[in-house]
Amino acid sequence: MRLCTSAIALVVGLLVNPGAHASELPQRWVSAGGALTEWVAALGGESTLVGVDTTSQHPESVKALPSIGYQRQLSAEGILSLRPQVLIGTEEMGPPPVLAQVRGAGVQVEMFSAQPDLPTLKGNLEHLGKLLGNEAKARQLFSGYEQALNQQKSALVKAQSTQQAPGVLLLLGHAGGKPLIAGKDTAAYWLLQQAGGHNLATHTGYKPFSAESLAGLSPDVLVFADRALTGEAARAALFKENPILAATPAAKNGRVVELDPTLLVGGLGPRLPQSLVKLSAGFYPSQAESAP
Amino acid sequence: MTTPVRPKTLFIGLALLCVLAIWLSLALGPVSLPLLDTLRAALRLMGLPIDPQGLEQAELILGQIRLPRTLLGLAVGGVLALSGVAMQGLFRNPLADPGLVGVSSGAALGAAVAIVGGSLFGGLPDAVGPYLLSLCAFLGGLGVTALVYRLGRRNGQTHVATMLLAGIALTALAGSAVGLFTYLADDATLRTLTFWNLGSLNGASYSRLWPLLLVSAAVALWLPRRAKALNALLLGESEAGHLGIDVEGLKRELVFCTALGVGAAVAAAGMIGFVGLVVPHLVRLLAGPDHRVLLPASILAGASLLLFADLVARLALAPAELPIGIVTAFIGAPFFLYLLLRGRA
Repeated sequence: MRLCTSAIALVVGLLVNPGAHASELPQRWVSAGGALTEWVAALGGESTLVGVDTTSQHPESVKALPSIGYQRQLSAEGILSLRPQVLIGTEEMGPPPVLAQVRGAGVQVEMFSAQPDLPTLKGNLEHLGKLLGNEAKARQLFSGYEQALNQQKSALVKAQSTQQAPGVLLLLGHAGGKPLIAGKDTAAYWLLQQAGGHNLATHTGYKPFSAESLAGLSPDVLVFADRALTGEAARAALFKENPILAATPAAKNGRVVELDPTLLVGGLGPRLPQSLVKLSAGFYPSQAESAP
Repeated sequence: MTTPVRPKTLFIGLALLCVLAIWLSLALGPVSLPLLDTLRAALRLMGLPIDPQGLEQAELILGQIRLPRTLLGLAVGGVLALSGVAMQGLFRNPLADPGLVGVSSGAALGAAVAIVGGSLFGGLPDAVGPYLLSLCAFLGGLGVTALVYRLGRRNGQTHVATMLLAGIALTALAGSAVGLFTYLADDATLRTLTFWNLGSLNGASYSRLWPLLLVSAAVALWLPRRAKALNALLLGESEAGHLGIDVEGLKRELVFCTALGVGAAVAAAGMIGFVGLVVPHLVRLLAGPDHRVLLPASILAGASLLLFADLVARLALAPAELPIGIVTAFIGAPFFLYLLLRGRA
C-alpha cells in the first residue's frame, strides 16, 4: 500500500515537475505561520499540507485542515500525530522544548524569518522553492512580487509629488468595540508607511486609545482592521461603538479604509502588494482616479 | 461529618487510581500507538531487555514526550494539593488555597518580568536564557511569600489574620504590576503571558524536570511529618501551644514548604488553578479531617487528578492542545460553588 502511494507520488511529481527528485521531496508538511502557508499554496504545495496553525487563514481551503493550535503554543505529540516530514514556521514558533522534541522525532524543522523586507522574502521563497522542488516558480513569484511593490512605490512617489502624506490612524478592533491603535514597531506601522501614510500614533505596539488624545490628532484617513466583521458592518460597528471617531476629518470626508487583519501577522505574504495598492489609493485619492 | 471510607481502603483506592492515571497518561495521546507497543516500550524504558525492533517510534514518544510529561504532572499535582492542605490547615479555613500567601501572584509577577523584560536580558548566556522564566517565577513566588510572612509577624509572633490580609493586599499589588507589564507588552509577548497564566504540561523535558522533582519530593516527605501538629492546630493556636506544639515553628515550616513547592510547580508548568483548593476538599469529604490521612492522600489524589486533566487537555482539541489551567478551573469552579451552596443549606 505504502509502496503504491509513493509510486503514485513519484509519477505525479515527475509529471508536474520534470527534473526534480520528487521521491526525495517531503510530501507531508505542517505549517505554523500564516504567510508561509499562503506561500506554500502559491507555490503549488497546498496538497502537501497536512496541518496548519491558527494564524493560517488563507487560502480558504486550509481552514479545513487539522489545527495544531497557536504557533507559540505547539504540542509535540499533536504535530507528530500528523506524521509530518517538515514543520515550517517563523521565529515566533515555539515553545523551544517542543521544537526540540519534534526535531528529535526526525521531523525536519525549518525556521523562516518574519522580517518584513524583500531580501528576507527572497531568501524565504528560495528556501521554500527548494523544499517543494519548484525553484523556478519561487523565482518567478518573487520577481512578480518585487515588480508589484516597485510599481506601487513609483506610483506613490508620483502621488507624493503633488499631495502631502495624509495623517493616518490604524484601528485594530473586534466587532468595533474598544479598538487598539497601531503604534511603532508593529507590522501595521510598516504597512502604513509603505502605503505612504503618516502614522499619527507615536506609542509603541498596539494600545487602547483615549478619546481625548484622539480628538487632538485629527487623522485625515482612518484604516480599520476588524477581526470579527468585514465591510460595511465593521465600519458601522466602529462608528457606533466609538462616536468620537465620527468627529475626525477622516470620517467627515468619508476617508475610511478597510484592511484585512490577517495581513498583520507573520511577515510578507502574497496578498500584500494588492493591499498596499488599495491602501495607497485610499491615502491619495486623486491619484487613484487618474491611474488606469 | 462521618468518615465513610477507612484510611486503608482510601489509600488502596487512590494508589490504584494513580497507577491508572499514570498508565493512561503514558498510553494515550494524539499519536495512537498500538497497546502492545506501548507496553513493550514502557518495559524497555524500565530497563528490561526487549527487542527494540519496530519500537523506535513508541520509545521516542513514550520516553521523550509522555514520560517527562507524566512525571511533571505527578509532581505538580501532588505538590499543589499538598500545599493546599498546608494552607487550609494554617489558616484553619477550608477556602484557603496556596495563592493566599502570595506565592501564585508573586510567581506571575516574576513571569511577567521575565517574559516582557526578557529582551533586556538578551545578553544572558545560553545556559541561563531558557530557564529565565522558571527562575524568575520561582524567585517571585518565594519573594512575595517571604514579604507576606514578614508583614504578618509582630513581637516575634505570626498573626495569621494579618498575614491573610497582607497576602490579599500584596496579591492585588502584584496583580496591578502584572497589569502594567501586560500594558507594556507587545502582541507576541502578550500571548506568551496569557498562555503562561493558563498553565501547561506541554514540552516537558528532563532538564527542567529534575529541580521540581527534587523540591516536590522533599516537600512531600517533610509535610506529612507535621500531620499531628496540624491536627492540634485545628483546635486553635493557643490550644496547640498547650499541647506542646511549637506553633510559630510550624507556621514557618508550612509557609516555607508551600512557597518552595508551589513556586517550583508554577515555575515548571505555569499557573494551574483550583487543584490546591479542590483536592484537599475531595479527600476530606471521603476520609475526614485527620491530617495523617489527608496529607499523603492529597498527594495521590492531586497527582491523579492533574494527570486526568492533562489527558483532557491533550486529547480534546488534538492535534492542538488546551491549556491545562482551563480544564482544572472548568472542573474546579463548579465544585467550589457546590461547596459554598452546600455549606449554606
